[in-house]
Amino acid sequence: MKRIRFTPLFFRRVHKWVGLVLGIQFILWSVSGAMMAFIDMKDVRDQPMIAADPVSVPGLLAPTDIGIGKVESLKLSMADGRPIYEIGESGSVRIVDGLTGDPVVVDEALVRQRAAVIVDAPIRSISLMNKPNLEAREFAGPMWRVDFDDAEGTSAYFAADTGRFLVARGDDWRLWDFFWMLHNMDYADRTSFNHPLIIVVGFGVLFLSGTGFYLLFKSFNRRDFRWLVRRKPSFDKTATAQRT
Amino acid sequence: MKIRWPLFVRRLHKWLALVIGLQVVLWTATGFYMVVIHIDRIHGDHLVRPVERPAVDMASLVAPGTVLAAVPDASEVRSSSLLNRPVWRVTSPGGVALFDAGTGERLGLIGADQAETIARNIYTSDEEVASVSLLQEAPMEMQGRKPPYWQVTFDRWDSPTFYISPESGELISRRHSLWRIFDFAWMLHIMDYDDRSDVNNLLLRTSTWLSVAMALSGAWLLVWAFPRRRKKKKTA
Repeated sequence: MKRIRFTPLFFRRVHKWVGLVLGIQFILWSVSGAMMAFIDMKDVRDQPMIAADPVSVPGLLAPTDIGIGKVESLKLSMADGRPIYEIGESGSVRIVDGLTGDPVVVDEALVRQRAAVIVDAPIRSISLMNKPNLEAREFAGPMWRVDFDDAEGTSAYFAADTGRFLVARGDDWRLWDFFWMLHNMDYADRTSFNHPLIIVVGFGVLFLSGTGFYLLFKSFNRRDFRWLVRRKPSFDKTATAQRT
Repeated sequence: MKIRWPLFVRRLHKWLALVIGLQVVLWTATGFYMVVIHIDRIHGDHLVRPVERPAVDMASLVAPGTVLAAVPDASEVRSSSLLNRPVWRVTSPGGVALFDAGTGERLGLIGADQAETIARNIYTSDEEVASVSLLQEAPMEMQGRKPPYWQVTFDRWDSPTFYISPESGELISRRHSLWRIFDFAWMLHIMDYDDRSDVNNLLLRTSTWLSVAMALSGAWLLVWAFPRRRKKKKTA
């Protein structure tokens, strides 16, 4: 086998071939990185303000009054102007009106009502999803999706069991998320950046940047920088040389 | 004048690389670190065991409505536990307060001993606690989260550190060496050397487009980089 000689020519060849094979991904990383730096993160993350109303005590029934016994978890908070108990039992959650003890049914009407409070725009469509979609992938379980007729194309998501607001997504987020997918190379789920494909390509690209950086030192000579140095009369130069 | 494209593009690529090359090396190197070590490990998921919340029997607890008298502007009361004792966790604009769910008595702030016990209970390993201190100023690794909080550090090579809320006794954050390296890598990656959080800073915006230009000029150079063999048929 021929011994590899680490000459500039060798590094140039490595640079060329890695560039040929992985160059597309390097371009995609640069472009998606540039776009993510360009899109304002404040707009991407923007969420509607949810007021946390103080719980009103008058007329509130105790859990034992309404047949709540041994449970996994219990939460009391305000929703739709009423105190609501959120009861966690055998792995699922249900909600009960704290004033009457009646179960609260999370249906389209309730979700519409809650959506109207959060986003000030007409509702274009509303649907129940069995699984989260890409936009609500940080959450689990069935949920309601409410699409609004606003400039941002806002979609708001509400948990199907409690009717709780989960997250809102607009066009800024969607654009950002597309570039985030290009960046993390997780084309199906858009979430993971620790999968084998990105590790292998990332490792390969180290050779592109590494050899490129090395070649910088081989690609420039003094002539290239002549335009930077102001031409001085030659006697100046000799004078300084003599002095030092 | 006729532009000699191969020469022009080569010079363009070379000069762009001179300006942005070091940052590209940093991007690829820090990017590689971030993809190689799984984000769950960076987050320190391996350091803590999930807190098991035992079932609570409402018959043996005071009603959550009764603790509201002490915190009139509370927006939420939820069942929780502190060192295996059932508590009502009350959230209000003023912060979080805990009440003994059996007696309805308000609990004070978490002390040093309690913070250490909580930390030991959730820690998945068995090293000794190296230090426990109540921080009044946010260290760099808490990214501006409002103090005070208990800082509990364990005696291990990667100095696992838990931050525990004195109000709720809950784990706010966990840090360890791999996280700290990740955070440094992230700083280099997004070029925000002050707060390590602004992904829209001007330096990054400029640098990334320079990188795009460098990458495109590099791709353009590939056109001439693999000389095709001269067609022999023609000359023959």
